[in-house]
Parts: sequence; C-alpha cells; structure tokens
Amino acid sequence: MDKTISFKLNGEAVSITTDPLRRLLDVLREDFKCHGVKEGCSEGECGACSVLLNGEMVTPCLIPLGAADGQEVVTVEGITATEKGDIIVQAFADGGAVQCGFCIPGMVVAAYYLLSRNPNPTEDEIRLGISGNLCRCTGYDLIVESIKLAASRGGDIWKK
Amino acid sequence: MVTEDISKAIRRIDAVSKSKGTIKYLSDYDLDDYLWGRLVRSSIPRGIIKKINLPDLPEGYFFVSAKDIPEGGKNYLHMIATDWRCFADGDVKYVGETIGILCGPDKTLLEDLYEEINIEYEEAEPAVSIDEGIACKGGAFINGNNIHCSLKLEVGENVDSVFARADKIIEETIETGFQEHVYLETNAAACKKVGDKYQILASAQCPFYIRKSIAPVLGIKPEDIVVQQTTTGGAFGGKEHFPDVLCGPLLLAAYVTGRGVKMIFDREEDIEFSVKRHPSKVMFKTALDKDGNIMAMDSKVYYNVGAYLASSFVVLQRGCFHVTGCYKFPSFRTEGFGVATNTFPSCAFRGFGAPQTLFAVETHMCHIAEKLGIDPLEYKSRYFIKQGDVTSTNGRVVERVMIPEMLNQVLDASDYKRKSREYKYGSGRGIGISFYNHGGAFTGNGESAIIKAKLRLHKYPDGRVEILCGQTEMGQGFHSIMPKIVSRVLEIPMEKVVFDDPNTDRVPDSGPTAASRSTMIVGYLAEKAANLMKPRYDKEEEFEVETNYEHPEGYPWDQASFQGYAYLGYGWGVCVVEVEVDPCTGEVTTRGIWSSHDCGHLIDELIVHGQTNGGILQGIGWASTEVLENVKGHFKQTSISDYIIPTSMDHPKQGVYYVENAYRWGPSGAKGMGELVFNGSGAAYIDAVSRAIGKRISAIPCPTERVMDYMLHGHDFKEEF
Amino acid sequence: MEKVMCYIPKTLNEALEIRNKEDVIVLAGGSDLMVSHKRTIGLTPKFDKSVMIIRNLPEIRKIYMDGSECHIGAACTSREIAESPLVPWHVRQAASRMGAIGLRNSATIGGNIANASPKGDTPGPLYLLDARVKIASTDGVREELVSDFIIKFRTIDLKPNEMITEVILPLSEDDFDYVFWHKVGTRKANAISKVTLSQAVKFASDGTVCDYRASATATGSKTNRSRDVENIIIGKRIAPELIEEVIAAFDGIISPRAMPEFRRESCRRSIRRFLTEAEKRRIEGCRDKVIDTYDGYYVPCAPVCRLS
Repeated sequence: MDKTISFKLNGEAVSITTDPLRRLLDVLREDFKCHGVKEGCSEGECGACSVLLNGEMVTPCLIPLGAADGQEVVTVEGITATEKGDIIVQAFADGGAVQCGFCIPGMVVAAYYLLSRNPNPTEDEIRLGISGNLCRCTGYDLIVESIKLAASRGGDIWKK
Repeated sequence: MVTEDISKAIRRIDAVSKSKGTIKYLSDYDLDDYLWGRLVRSSIPRGIIKKINLPDLPEGYFFVSAKDIPEGGKNYLHMIATDWRCFADGDVKYVGETIGILCGPDKTLLEDLYEEINIEYEEAEPAVSIDEGIACKGGAFINGNNIHCSLKLEVGENVDSVFARADKIIEETIETGFQEHVYLETNAAACKKVGDKYQILASAQCPFYIRKSIAPVLGIKPEDIVVQQTTTGGAFGGKEHFPDVLCGPLLLAAYVTGRGVKMIFDREEDIEFSVKRHPSKVMFKTALDKDGNIMAMDSKVYYNVGAYLASSFVVLQRGCFHVTGCYKFPSFRTEGFGVATNTFPSCAFRGFGAPQTLFAVETHMCHIAEKLGIDPLEYKSRYFIKQGDVTSTNGRVVERVMIPEMLNQVLDASDYKRKSREYKYGSGRGIGISFYNHGGAFTGNGESAIIKAKLRLHKYPDGRVEILCGQTEMGQGFHSIMPKIVSRVLEIPMEKVVFDDPNTDRVPDSGPTAASRSTMIVGYLAEKAANLMKPRYDKEEEFEVETNYEHPEGYPWDQASFQGYAYLGYGWGVCVVEVEVDPCTGEVTTRGIWSSHDCGHLIDELIVHGQTNGGILQGIGWASTEVLENVKGHFKQTSISDYIIPTSMDHPKQGVYYVENAYRWGPSGAKGMGELVFNGSGAAYIDAVSRAIGKRISAIPCPTERVMDYMLHGHDFKEEF
Repeated sequence: MEKVMCYIPKTLNEALEIRNKEDVIVLAGGSDLMVSHKRTIGLTPKFDKSVMIIRNLPEIRKIYMDGSECHIGAACTSREIAESPLVPWHVRQAASRMGAIGLRNSATIGGNIANASPKGDTPGPLYLLDARVKIASTDGVREELVSDFIIKFRTIDLKPNEMITEVILPLSEDDFDYVFWHKVGTRKANAISKVTLSQAVKFASDGTVCDYRASATATGSKTNRSRDVENIIIGKRIAPELIEEVIAAFDGIISPRAMPEFRRESCRRSIRRFLTEAEKRRIEGCRDKVIDTYDGYYVPCAPVCRLS
C-alpha cells in the first residue's frame, strides 16, 4: 500500500507517495535521479550504493524506503557538493584511485564516512574503512593512498 | 619545447566525473520509451525442448525467439566461430542458453509473466567437467569426440626419443578452475531502430565485434547497425564477445516489436549466466638427466570450452604458446585440446588462456625443484629464455629479456633469499616466486591479416584534435593515455585532444580492445598519425590524417602450422608473495607482494601502477578464494557473497617496480601490459602457501578449507609424484 | 503483484499493538529480509504478508548496564554493539566482523537472532555467555535463554504477537581469565562464517579450571555448545589427555554438512590451542587475556578486551 514518506535528502526536505517497501536504492535512483548511487550486487556486499543514513554509512539496496521516514539521507551527490567531498574527489583524481569508476562513488562515501570519524587514519584503518566496498580494478592500493592524501590535504577540516 | 617524460602521471580525464557519480553508465540513461527485455533461458544443461508454455501476454508484451528470425536471417552469433546460437532451437546445450526474450513496458509485470513461463524438456545426461567431456558422458555432441579444437607444437628433438634416454621422468597434472570477471557494472545493452539503422547502446569492449556478430540474425549488413559504447564499468574480457549474447536477442526484439528494448542484468543473473575463464588441466611429462636438468618437457593442455567454440580456439592457442613460460627447454612438445562440455561457454578473461598454462608450468617447475631439494628460484633461473632464443613456436625472442634486472628489484625489496632459506617447509611461513610473460597483441600476423587496424586524427578549426578509433575505455585508462600521446607529439595541451566513447558510424575499425594491443598497436598508430599531423597543424584549418597498421618485415608467421614469430613484443614479469598460514585453521594471511614488470616505456606511471595492483590482486583471487563450482551444469556460486573476490583487507600494499626496456614498435616505446600483470601472481601465491604448509599444491583455487585438506592429506615435496 | 501493507510504528507500544492485531513480518535492519525477498533491479521486494519496520524505534535501540548485566536493544546495529565498551568482548568481536561496514550499520542483533541461521555471527558468543532474550507483547514481557529461543534452523520460539526487545548478557570477559574468538570467514573482511569458535576459561586459585566454555557456529543446523562437554575439564587441571577428551566430546556435538573435515579439524585444533596456551599462560602468570589461533595472528583494528 502506498504511503507518503518524508525525509531529508542532501539537506532538502522531500516527500514521496509510493510503496514504502520499495528499496531506498530504487527510489533514490529512479525518483530522485541520484544516479551516483550505483547498484552492484543488490545484497549489501559491494558497497557501490553506499549512502549516509543519519550520518551512518549504509547500503540502500537493503533498506526499504519506509525505514528512511523522518530520517536524513545523504548521497554521493550531497557529499561531493561539500568542501570535504571535493577534497576527496580531487585526491582520488590525483592519486589514481579511479579506473572503471563504478565502485568509486561508494568509495567516496566510505572515505567521507571514515575521515569524518577518524581524521588521521592509519593504513590498516583505511583498509578497514573501505573493506565493505568491493573494487575489481584497482587492487585498492591507490584508493588507500588517495584517502591518505585527502586526510593530509584536508587537515583540520576533518575535525569540524 | 622540452617536455617532461611521458611516464609522469597525469589526471585521468574521467576521474572527477566518476568520483562524483555524474558520468552515465547505461543504467543511468533515460530510456523510458524503451521496453524492458528479459532473457528466457534453459534451466537444464542438455536436452530437447518439448514445449514452451507461456502465460497469456497482455497487449504490448512479446515473447521473441528463433521462430521470429526473418527470412534471410541466421540463428547464430559470429564470434570468430559461428556455432553459438542466438537462440536455442529444438534442443539446449547448457544451463542459461537463451531460448527467447520476453519484452514489455512494465518491469514488474514482465517479471511476473517471466515467473509464469514453464518450459518442458526431455533431459539428457550432461558432461560438465573436462574429464566428463573427454569421456563423452551422455554421448558426444561435438565432432563425435567432444573435442572442439586442437593443436600441437614441437621444438627441438622429438621428445619421445629424449624420454627413452632420460634418467628420470616426472609426470604431474596441474588444474585451474572457472573464474568470474565480477566487473562492478553488470552487463547492459539496448537496441532501437533509429531511421533505417539499428542503434545499439552497450557496456562493451568491442563495438565493432557486436555489429559483425549480430547482423546475420536479421540478414543485414554490419553497417546497418550502429553501436555506441556507453561508459563501461569494468570488463576484463567479460565484455569482449559476451555483449553479443545480449545484443543478438535485443536486435531481433527491436525488429519484432518495432520498439526500443533494453536489458540490464542483475548480479545474480550476471554471475549465473555469463562467460567465464576456461578451467584447465595440464598434464606434464618432464624428462630429467642424472643431475636433475630438464632434457625435455611434454604436455597435454585441456581447456573446458563449454558448449560452443566461439573464440576458444584462439584462447587455447595462446595457452599452448605460453606453456613454456619464461623458459627455454632443449626439447619441447605440447598438444592442446578444447573440450566440449554442457557448461556456459568459456570466453575471454584477462590473459586469454595464458594464465592457466603459466600457472601450470611455474607450479610444475617449483615441484621439480623441491623434489630435487633445490630452491625454486635457482632451478628456474637455469632455464630463463633470452633474446634470440627459440620460442615455443620456433620463432625467436625479438627483444632483450630483462628478467635478471627485474629479479634483482624484487629480491632486494622482498628479501627473498634470506626468507626462502629461513622459512622451513611446513613452518607456517612461506615465500614464493613466479616468472611470467605475455605476448602482446594478436598472434603472429593477425594484426595485419585479420584486424588491419585503422585510426584517424581530425583537426578542427578551433585547434582541437579528435582521435577517431574503435578503442574503448573500460577502466584501464586508454582514453586518458591516447590524448596524452597525441598532445605530446603535437605539443598542444591535453585538453585540446578529444576522445569520445566510440560510435561505429563515426570511427574507423581499429580492432578490438583486447589482447593487450590497444596501447601497443593503436597507440602507435596514434603517435604516427600525430607525427603526420604535426607539420600541417598550424597551417591548415581542418583536416584528417589516417594511419594503418603495418607489420614489421622479417618476422614470418604461419597460422596453419602455428610456426614462426607468435609475438613481436612480450611483457615480462616477476612476482614474489609472502604468506603466513594459520596452523589451526589453514587461513592464509598475505604478508607481502612484490612485483617487477617490463612493459616497455611507461606511458603513465600511475595508470600502469593501478593496472598492476588490480591484475596482481585478481590473480591471487583466482588462485585463492574465487571458487566457482559447476554442479550438474549449474554454477553453485551465484552472488558476490558466495563468489569471493578480495577486499581491501585481504592483501597488503604491494611493492611495485618496473624496468625500462623501450619497445621498437610501440608509442614512446610502450608495450602491452593489461594482461601481463594478471599472469603470475597466482603461481607466486601458491608457491608461498605450499612452502608454508610443506605440501605440494597442484590445483587452484585453494581457499582455506582446501589448504586444510592439503595440510592433512597433501604430498610432501620429497614424495614421488 | 499485490502490494502488501507496511507499518512504520513510532513507539514500541504502537509496534506491539500492531503485532497483536496482525501477524506482520518484523523488519529491523533489513539485511536478511531484503535479500531473501528481493526480485531484480528496480522491483519492490516480494513479501507475502504485511511488513512492520522497527528500525528506528528508540526504546529498543540503546545499550545500558543494569547491575552487572549488559542490555542490548534488539534494534541496535552491529556497529553500535562493536563500538560500545559496555558490551562483552566476544559479542563485540562477532559484531565487528559481521558482513560489510554498510551492512553493520543496518544489521541488528535482534534480527541476527530471529534469523536463526547456523552461520549467524552473534549467536556463538551469546550461547557462550548464557545470554537471554527479552520478549515483549501486549500481554507483558518474558525472558528466555538465546540457546532455547533458537529452536532449530530458521525456527525461533516467538509467538505471532511477540517481539524481541532486548538481549541481556549476564557474563562478560571480566568473568574469565582467558578468552578466544576466531571466525574463519570466506575472506578477511565482508565475510560469511565458514566456522567460528568462541571459548573462555577461568581458573581457581589452585590452578584447576573453575569454568570453561566453548561454542561453535556454522558447524551444524544451529550453534553448538554443551555443558556436558565443558564439564569434562571443569574442576580439573588442564592436561594434554584431558584436552583430547574435550576435543573428542566437542567433535561429537557438532554436525557440519558441507566441508565437514575442515570444520571439525579447525575446532579440534582451536580447542587444543586455546586450552594449551591458557594453561601455559596461567603457569607463567601471563595476564594477556586474548588467545588466538597462533601468536601474532593479524587482526587489524579489532575491539580491545577489558583489563581485569
């Protein structure tokens, strides 16, 4: 049965009347055209669709829209529009993190989530931080290096 | 103007748009006026289709199958061979074989209808493994013997006469399994008639392949189809021929319905019903003299081809050409067989047949060395091939082989010699080493006889230069390095060089984006074209230059006998892997990975670095966790929680090194490298694990439970084979 | 396809009322249910009855101490559990290694128990520490041992009007001298359990074992633990023959179907390793509490153990 679900999307209040059991992933992509949210596996394994729900990184392929009712959702589009997000994007570009690119928006969200909680992560902590995001191209090393670059370039920004 | 070394890293042109998620993959396109397509497939591995029971289809919904192929159309897809049917007709030969395509506007209703389809079969007994295929289980279904294709190579004295005087003969079988590509973007394609042509949008490596492959279905010319590649989220060979399997049915559906039709696989569908790396079985027979020196090596190479030949003979050829690895033996013979089975046809996957035989020969060499009590490194180094030496096809190695220099780099970085001495067999710690190569581009004279690559550069009045060729970007960075090559020659900023995703109506056919040929062959054409353009660039407003591939003289090849110069330039690699094995559980922890590669002069060190990291990890995945079993014709692992690829925590940061060895016929001296970097890490990893547990490992993948199995029941290195 | 009803209650009472009226599917994190009911890209998952989403109910999303017992709300996520210093070490370990990071921000402890999968990550530690579930309905509340609540594969002791609201842990690593938790996953992160063993031991002042526990997951149709097996060594001093007796008895209570030899052998070796090493450390007076499968086993960023 359709319901009206209201939530905050990238800082803006939105609402939609639809089946609340639709996957948040489909609603973000189809209804709100957040195409940076990628579908890679449909079962919470690959992290390509990662978004922030109330500040926590989640995979919206596992989340029914209804669970976002009254909550706050931030997608890669929202993150990369911020200064912090841009630091990550630029570091990814300079550090050679990007190959086919399909996992990358999810990686950007993971990097943002990590650095927001841990401004100076170690190599191990970065590897843990992106361990829920599968990449088949890069072997991860240059993504890890790029996140280190984003941490150092951002400096105190990550502590705000 | 002094320009810095071309190797110095630049920003990839697609890096920012991919990071922001603004670049569009096919699933991001607005194709609302297209119907959805859903492939209806065989659920059994072998049998006769007795009846297809369809639900009543509402208006606007269609079921399209072989019977809809118009007069003059052919029910096959042209993928080198022409045996792969676009639609199963009468019988089915593997699980997942396309029977029809269901189309309609509402995806939910379409799925409901799809679930109601019931197909009645008369089932036959399938052959699934290589052994079952050879044994013709259920009766032969190809050539009376289930051998799709075969070849034989011999070098030096006849091996049988060498065996007669050998001191010792070692026989060993090495096996490798299926591997799934797991490109992060699943397969997707769409087809619609626009004007008098069919327009295909596809996530694909080779737009020109698609056109040629599917045109026969409607009995039209390839030129009647326009293929536009869309941003491709990884491919690794899995989108070389396989998009044809989507596009053939889509073309017929567009013809029948008069509408655009689109298809996007979900992950389960993509793993269950797509091509894989060929499983292999290599049976060695090696003759040793009284000092343990190799006198002759004989091998039989079996690849599980699946139900259709398609491109597999070429895969098998490359496998056989690489079975001598980086070594030269006094006498050598190999026979290769492509075995027909009732599994999803195997196809291209990074390395294209070379990784299987390279893994086999590396592992076999280790086992001989360990049996003789010699460090594998020392034993292998006795046989390193050098410039001018005879190859497995009686050609010669054209270039300088820099294995000694590469070896020094990885030995220093890994401390191999000390560790190899100190880590006792079975101690739980192990270090392994492998040597490998990869012949760049198409075999022999294929580039000149078959591909005939062509490239154009177009200069516009505003100074921009467009690169026109069929080469695709699929993540490897080609659409960044080409503008780099061209802008370097023309001495203009990179931003002035345009290189869009290819459209077959706009660009000349420069051959497939495959075989590690793009930089080496097409990059060289771009460099030559830029050199032709340069003297005219400032003088003329708008013009085009074109270059065509020319094969260097003096390196003959006979495709009928597979004799001569198979490859003009090889990439070379050395890899060392160090591991620890958990004595309680058999879990392997990788402690270090070091590699050195010769891929000529690097066009962009960061792009090459990224390719190296990814290839090495994919190779270790293949050897370790990537188990893909086929049970009675069905793949057992059908999701990425079951099919286990490495995460960021599985392996540590890699030590990556290169040697400088400019290639004569490559742009700025570059050679192919995309496949090379896959070819050897699996063998180094298995060498390390097997030393750590003190047991011979002769089959991959080798996940935790199989490591435990070897710990409990494996053979010690000193035992007889 | 018919659309089913979806309830999104704002309070626990509201949820219990709905549950009392209708046999709804209770969906917390969604990490199991959304996968098991999924169709394909773009389609709504197919549920055969009404669904109630309880992800955001505040009453069941907190972790607190009541006396010496740790209470974990049923809708607490794996990450919240892994990061809470109040939660016993074994449970935090299991939570910290469950699935992918994004999944750990969705998956709940209530869901992990209710799913009753033999490969579930949290039941092993919960069995080990005699954890209880608190169950509520409009009729009131009751408590039950997790090991009784999970009846068998995919079957739990929950009435149609009931809901899991809390998990209560009466014990923690403070109650033991040495602890062991080791998951053999399909890979180092983002992994499903191939076999996981939890163990804990406490010594009396005379060096005899006063408590020993071991539980294994992915070794049968449900988590395996047996007090009879543990009693073999309780009250005695650890000795090699006795360890072998425990191993043989433990081997008798597990029944792995796939990869049986690997799973059995991993358990045998891990029990041998833990008891041997615990006795060694006891004799040496080593207070280092965590014992793993071998010295120097590499665990990046794992939750730390409380010092006692």
